[in-house]
Amino acid sequence: MSTLGLLRTLFNPKIVTPNAIQLQSLNRTPFLVGLFFNHDQIRTMSRVKRRTTHPPYWHVLKNNQRTDEKISSDNLRFVQEVIQDKYKNKSPIKGSDLDIEKTEWDPKTKRSGVIARNIGVQHMWEKDGKKVICTVLHVLDNHVIRYVPPEEYAKSVIGAKMFKNRKPLGCLVVGAEASNPERFTRQYCSLFDEVGLLPKKRLARFIVTPNAALPPCTPLTAGHFVIGQAVDVYGKTIDYGFQGVVKRWGFKGGPASHGTTKFHRRGGTIGTGRDKARVWPGQKMPGHMGSERRFNRGLKIVRINMKYNIIYVKGTVPGPTNSIVQIFDTALPRRKFTEAPPHPTYFPPEDGTLPQEDIWDSSLHVFGSPSISV
Amino acid sequence: MLRRAVLQTFRQGLAQSFFKRYAVSLTETTVTHQPIETSDEAGERTVPTQKTGDESGNTVVVAPPEFRFIYPEFLPDPAMERRNRLREKLERMDMLQRRSVIEIPEFYTGSIMAVTVADANSPNKFARFVGICIQRGGSGLRAWFILRNVVDKQGVEILYEMYCPLIQKIEVLRLERRLDESLLYLRDALPEYSTFPMDMEPERRLNNSVVPINPLKVKLRPRPWLERWERQNLQGVEDLNLPQRFYDRAEKVAKPWEKYDLMLHYRKTIPAEEQEKIFAEVHSQLQQQELKRKLRRRRGSDNEY
Repeated sequence: MSTLGLLRTLFNPKIVTPNAIQLQSLNRTPFLVGLFFNHDQIRTMSRVKRRTTHPPYWHVLKNNQRTDEKISSDNLRFVQEVIQDKYKNKSPIKGSDLDIEKTEWDPKTKRSGVIARNIGVQHMWEKDGKKVICTVLHVLDNHVIRYVPPEEYAKSVIGAKMFKNRKPLGCLVVGAEASNPERFTRQYCSLFDEVGLLPKKRLARFIVTPNAALPPCTPLTAGHFVIGQAVDVYGKTIDYGFQGVVKRWGFKGGPASHGTTKFHRRGGTIGTGRDKARVWPGQKMPGHMGSERRFNRGLKIVRINMKYNIIYVKGTVPGPTNSIVQIFDTALPRRKFTEAPPHPTYFPPEDGTLPQEDIWDSSLHVFGSPSISV
Repeated sequence: MLRRAVLQTFRQGLAQSFFKRYAVSLTETTVTHQPIETSDEAGERTVPTQKTGDESGNTVVVAPPEFRFIYPEFLPDPAMERRNRLREKLERMDMLQRRSVIEIPEFYTGSIMAVTVADANSPNKFARFVGICIQRGGSGLRAWFILRNVVDKQGVEILYEMYCPLIQKIEVLRLERRLDESLLYLRDALPEYSTFPMDMEPERRLNNSVVPINPLKVKLRPRPWLERWERQNLQGVEDLNLPQRFYDRAEKVAKPWEKYDLMLHYRKTIPAEEQEKIFAEVHSQLQQQELKRKLRRRRGSDNEY
C-alpha cells in the first residue's frame, strides 16, 4: 500500500455530529498533508455529493401541485368551514397537563432544539463599550409533532447509520410556521392529523435522550434557552451560485495590468506533467458555491425577549437574512451546561405571573441604563 | 434631486391621505398642508401633530412630515434582501430607550457639533471634540456621523456612532445646513473652512422654526485632490477653474438618465406610506421625551435665578 494510503487509514477519524441528519466524514488532515506531502491533497470528499435540489426519497410530496381550479364561491366557503372545523379544537398545553414523568436533568441529557428564523443582525455594546454584532433569531411557533423512541428510531435508515456502534437515542419531530392546509397535499397534512395541528411549513428532527422527550403538541418558545448559554446554530449557507475560483477558493488570480492578457481571475495551472500526469480529483475549480449545511458552534445567547420570542446570539449564523435555522444546546464539551436548564422545556409559570419580558446577559449594556463612564 | 422627488411623493401621500380621511376641522389640517418650499429647507418646527379623522371616525395619529429629516436613522436600510419588519421594530424600541437617556439633537451635514465621549486614556476620563458634520449615514443603531476639525494644522475626522453608550453628550453648537449633503470636499479645501475653536459656545438661533442654509462656497486647494470633484455636481464649491478636458470627460462619464430612473430611486428609499407608519409608531414617545427635556431645561433655568 502506498504511504498515502497508509496515512489515510491511520488518520481517518469519522466525526459524527450528534444532531445532524446526514453523516459527514472529515478525512482531511491538512496538518499531516503539509508535514509529509506539500503538493498532494487528500481528495476523498471530492466524490461525495454535497448538495441536492431534490428532497430525500422518504419525503411525501409537500406542496399542492394543483393549478387554480374553478371552484364556485359556495364551495370555497364550504372548504374554509371544513378546515375550521377540523382544526379549531386545540387547546394550548400547560405544564400540568403533560402526561410525561417528571424527569431529572443530568449532564448527559440532550434536550430538544428549536426552529427559528434569522431575521438579521443588530449591534449591541458590552459594559466596557466594546461593540458586539448579535444575530437576531425569531423563534417561530414550534410545536412537537411526534416523538420516536430510541428502539424504533434505530431501525430507520438514518437511525441505523447514526447509532451503528452507539447507544440509540430518541428523535423529536418538531414543526414550525403553521400555514393554510390548502397549500399542501393530503399526504403532508396527514403527518399532522394525529396531533390535530395546522400543517407546518417547516419540519425538523432533533435527537434527544429519552428523559427529554416531549409529548406531541408541546409548544417550544424562546424560554427554552438560558441567558449566557452556548448554542449551536445549523443553517444552509448563502447561495452564491456558480462562482469563479477567486471568490470560491480564494485564489489570487493574475495581475490587473502590466500587459496581462486575459489572465486576471483565472486559476492557472491545474497539475504537474510528472506525478500521476492527470488532474487530481478535488482540484479546486470554478463551480457552485454556498447553499451548504453548516453549524456555527458555541454562540453565546446574550438577550432573550420573551414577548416576541426573540433570541439575540453573539456572532453570526450560517445563511442569509430571513432564512430558517435550527438552534440547539451546544455540542462543545467545555461550554455545556453545569446547572440544569429548563428541562425538558420551558413552561410559563402556572400561577399566572408573567416572566420578565426582556432578559439581558450581565455583560451587555442595557439601552435604557445610563451611559458608560470608563 | 432625489430628495425633491421623494419630498413630492411624500407630500402626495399626505395629500391623498388627507382627502381619503374626512378632516375633523379644516383649521387643524391647513397648517401642515401649506406647500413646503422646494429648496432644501426643513419644515416648520412648531407644527403640531396632525390628527385627522378616519372614515370610521377614529383619530389616526400621523407624525409631522419633518420627522424624516430630524430622525432619518429611524428609517431602515432600503435593501430588500435584508429587511425584516419585526427586527426593525425591535431596533426602534432600543433606539428610543437610548434616546430616553441621552439627548440626540437634530443636526444636518454642515452643523457644528461637540461630542463628549468616555475615554479611558484621557486625563479626566472624558474627551470632547468639536467639529463640523461632513457626513452622516447608517440606519437604526448603526447610525453614524463624521465630525471634522483642524487641530494644530492637522485635519482630524472622527466617526461617532450615534447610539454608542460611551457617548455622554452631543451638543449642536450651530445648527445649519449647507448646499450639499456630503461635505467630503472640505478635505481638499483650504484649512480655514474646517477650523472651529474647541471652546466654541453654542449659538442661539434667532428664528427657531427654519433651519438656515449656509450658501457658503468653499475654495479648494490646488490639485491633486482626493476625488474628482468636477464630476460630482457640488453646489458648495467655488468655480474649480479646471481645463476644459476635465469637464468633457466628466460629461462622457456622467449618467444623466439616472434622475429619470424611478425604479432606482424607489429601491434606494423607503416608500412614503411606510415612512408614515414608522414615524407614527415612534412619534408619541419622541414627543414625550422632548417635552420632558424642555421641562428639565426650564426648571434648570428657573433654578439659576
